[in-house]
Amino acid sequence: MRLIARRALLAAPLLAVPMLARAQAAPLVLATIAMIGEPAQRLAGTAARVETLLGEGVDPHLYRPTRADIARLLRADLVLYHGLGLEGRLRDAIGRVAASGRPVLAVGEAVPRDSLIVEDGTPDPHVWMDPTLWGIAADSIAARLSALRPAEAPAIQGNLAAFRAELAALGSWARAAMATIPRERRVLVTAHDAFAYFGRRYELAVEGIQGISTDSEAGVQRIRDLVDLLVARRIPAVFAETSVSDRNIRALIEGAAARGHRVVLGGSLFSDAMGAPGTYEGTYIGMIDHNVTTIVRALGGEVAPRGFQGRLAA
Amino acid sequence: MWEALTFQAGHNAAVVAAGCIAFGLAAGAVGCFVLLRGRALIADAAAHATLPGVAGAFLLGLALGLDPRALPWLLAGGGLTASLAVLAANALARGGRVKDDAAIAVALSVSFGLGAVLLSVVQALPVGGQAGLSGLLLGRAAGMAEADAWTMAAVALVALAVLGALLRPLSALLFDPLQASLAGLPVKALDVALLGLMLLVVLAGLPAVGLVLVVALLIVPAAAARLLTARLPAMAALSAGFGAGSAHLGVAISAAAPGAPTGAVIVLVAVAVFALALLASPRRGLVAALRRRAALLAAARAAAR
Amino acid sequence: MSPVPVALPLPALSLRGLSVAYRTDAVLWNVTWNSPPAGLVAIVGPNGAGKSTLLKAALGLIPRLAGEVRFFGAPLAAVRRRVGYLPQRAAVEWDFPATALDVAAMGRYPRAGWFRPLPRAEREAALAALAEVGMQDVAHRPIGELSGGQQQRVLLARTLAQEPDLFLMDEPFAGVDAATEEAIVGVLQRLAAAGRCVIAVHHDLSTVPRAFDHALLLNREVIASGPAATLLSPENLARAYGRRMSA
Repeated sequence: MRLIARRALLAAPLLAVPMLARAQAAPLVLATIAMIGEPAQRLAGTAARVETLLGEGVDPHLYRPTRADIARLLRADLVLYHGLGLEGRLRDAIGRVAASGRPVLAVGEAVPRDSLIVEDGTPDPHVWMDPTLWGIAADSIAARLSALRPAEAPAIQGNLAAFRAELAALGSWARAAMATIPRERRVLVTAHDAFAYFGRRYELAVEGIQGISTDSEAGVQRIRDLVDLLVARRIPAVFAETSVSDRNIRALIEGAAARGHRVVLGGSLFSDAMGAPGTYEGTYIGMIDHNVTTIVRALGGEVAPRGFQGRLAA
Repeated sequence: MWEALTFQAGHNAAVVAAGCIAFGLAAGAVGCFVLLRGRALIADAAAHATLPGVAGAFLLGLALGLDPRALPWLLAGGGLTASLAVLAANALARGGRVKDDAAIAVALSVSFGLGAVLLSVVQALPVGGQAGLSGLLLGRAAGMAEADAWTMAAVALVALAVLGALLRPLSALLFDPLQASLAGLPVKALDVALLGLMLLVVLAGLPAVGLVLVVALLIVPAAAARLLTARLPAMAALSAGFGAGSAHLGVAISAAAPGAPTGAVIVLVAVAVFALALLASPRRGLVAALRRRAALLAAARAAAR
Repeated sequence: MSPVPVALPLPALSLRGLSVAYRTDAVLWNVTWNSPPAGLVAIVGPNGAGKSTLLKAALGLIPRLAGEVRFFGAPLAAVRRRVGYLPQRAAVEWDFPATALDVAAMGRYPRAGWFRPLPRAEREAALAALAEVGMQDVAHRPIGELSGGQQQRVLLARTLAQEPDLFLMDEPFAGVDAATEEAIVGVLQRLAAAGRCVIAVHHDLSTVPRAFDHALLLNREVIASGPAATLLSPENLARAYGRRMSA
């Protein structure tokens, strides 16, 4: 009897090993866009593996999922997507994931409703353009990660605090930089309406050639109206976007030139996609940094050429 | 809209209008001959078959380190696959086991399916969004650059020059190919020339109205012209005019109604012209036919009394 | 005095060992035949005898298995202008935008040049060809609006406008009205009188001895050929048609 009891006692710790092993395997978190995925990985640290479905330069308005994508979505332990209609063609796939009972979070819908910009009843989905709002979104991501790995919650909260601090520094730096743009030049013309939240935060009028979604075709009338604006306000620069064709922007520049007003291409902004993973511009901070620096320089403001932390590509 | 019609709606609108009008002119003129030669369906297959070539050219350009977005490069790829599809359809039909229209349908489906797959590959690439390739499906006329408009004008000039030079041989070929070959005309070479013109127009039309709709501008103005005249030179001129006019009016309407895609509006105008011709044609129109029938009925009844 | 050698006039159409197959069926087999240099020749025989095929194969419109074809002693490519072909009416797309005069004028293009507008003289010649077949009054009517017989005559005008020395006609009298038949007969007689050669596939045995000078009786192979008046004997017809018939 005592022999059996002793063997049982020795064996007990062995039973705990599989449980420990399951706890050690990091869960897989799948984010749709990198503006969610990169911060999410920062917040998770070692607590989870975060992968991003849409790569650098891919347009989330138009992206159609493949079978492999759907399989990845269904395998993930947590799916983070933006919502508010951004990933227009992923709705069905994400619906399937939610229906299967796996945790799903619409990050863009986690910000307060009254801070959303709504046009004709349709919310503008480009929430990440406002670092302040995106900080609130980060809170909800951290909360979900903590729910996934309760043991790691303190570490996650620590990462969140650091991220929020950096966001705050970025925000005040951006505010100061944008304020140096002369009053009459405070107009941001881009390929599509992705910068409304950005413009609201930094007091810039924003105009896009295409609408909120790149799915809509640009109209000749719209280009004409924008040419009128460029000429009337003598705006020196317009901006392309990395995930959208610059054809319409070039037409705009031609149109202004035909009226004797020289407009330059101020640069290529990150709107619906970030830079290459592994680079500074492939991080959320880097993306906003690049956009602010490019815009301020092109519109005649003052800002350090290497940006917020001197880390922008030269 | 009146401003747009009179080219006073700004530089961009004028460029778009000029480019589309040149394209409509070329498409109408070439389309007249394509229609009479019975190649309308092949034209549609060729247009759809540009997609794998365009997407493939993009991927190849990326791999080779060229600028993959350059339009001439993309259109060259499109032209290559379109030609292959036409050859494939011909080969299938000539074997005798597959009927003409089935062969064309097969070539169209295979090409377009392959193109859709390649397009999704492109869209998942880092620079895929910049390519704007999906704009070639339904057209992206609004952002037309001056250079594009000049290219359209050149295409129109080439098309008109070739058609003008080959007018008589083509007429003979279209009416009676057997007799044409007996007369010593190089029938195969003429057919190749016509096919080449058709491909040129299809490729020129991709940025303007897109590959799905370009065949409409080849065929619909020609069909409308056919209803209104019984002589080939007049039909070609009328068809070119309808094509150019539909483009002019279509661009003006889409400038005034900002939500409407330019290519689609142009096609709708062309269809409206066709509908008018169908109703109003003195010889072949519906109204005239109804009148003749009514007169016939009245005469028959009068005779019976 | 030694006799001066006189060159014999060459046959308008000369066939040697012509064989044509459709897939695996032999439609014409080993046809060797010389037409006279001028005059009206009828090609007759039962349905499926290969009569139309003979004309088309001679012209290279369908491929042949074997055999040689000469027109006035030369290959077709050398004497294209001298050979005219009147196809069956159904072979043409009549929904084409052209007037009767446009079609007749097509016969003048090889002569007048393909790349210039038609000179006035050529237009007059085309109009004259229409007049020969009695179609001058509908010169500007679209061909789609013409009756079957009128269309047949317009095609004949096109061939006449070409001014060939040899006419190959595929069933010129098939399904035409009396006026058209009369017009065509008139044309044939004028052509014969002018020293041209007309070789016509003909379906009506009864009219052959009256209307034609020579005949070729065909049923995949040459059954007989010779003067039209005596060729259609009961024996020949029996061999061609497989039973006793009276002409």
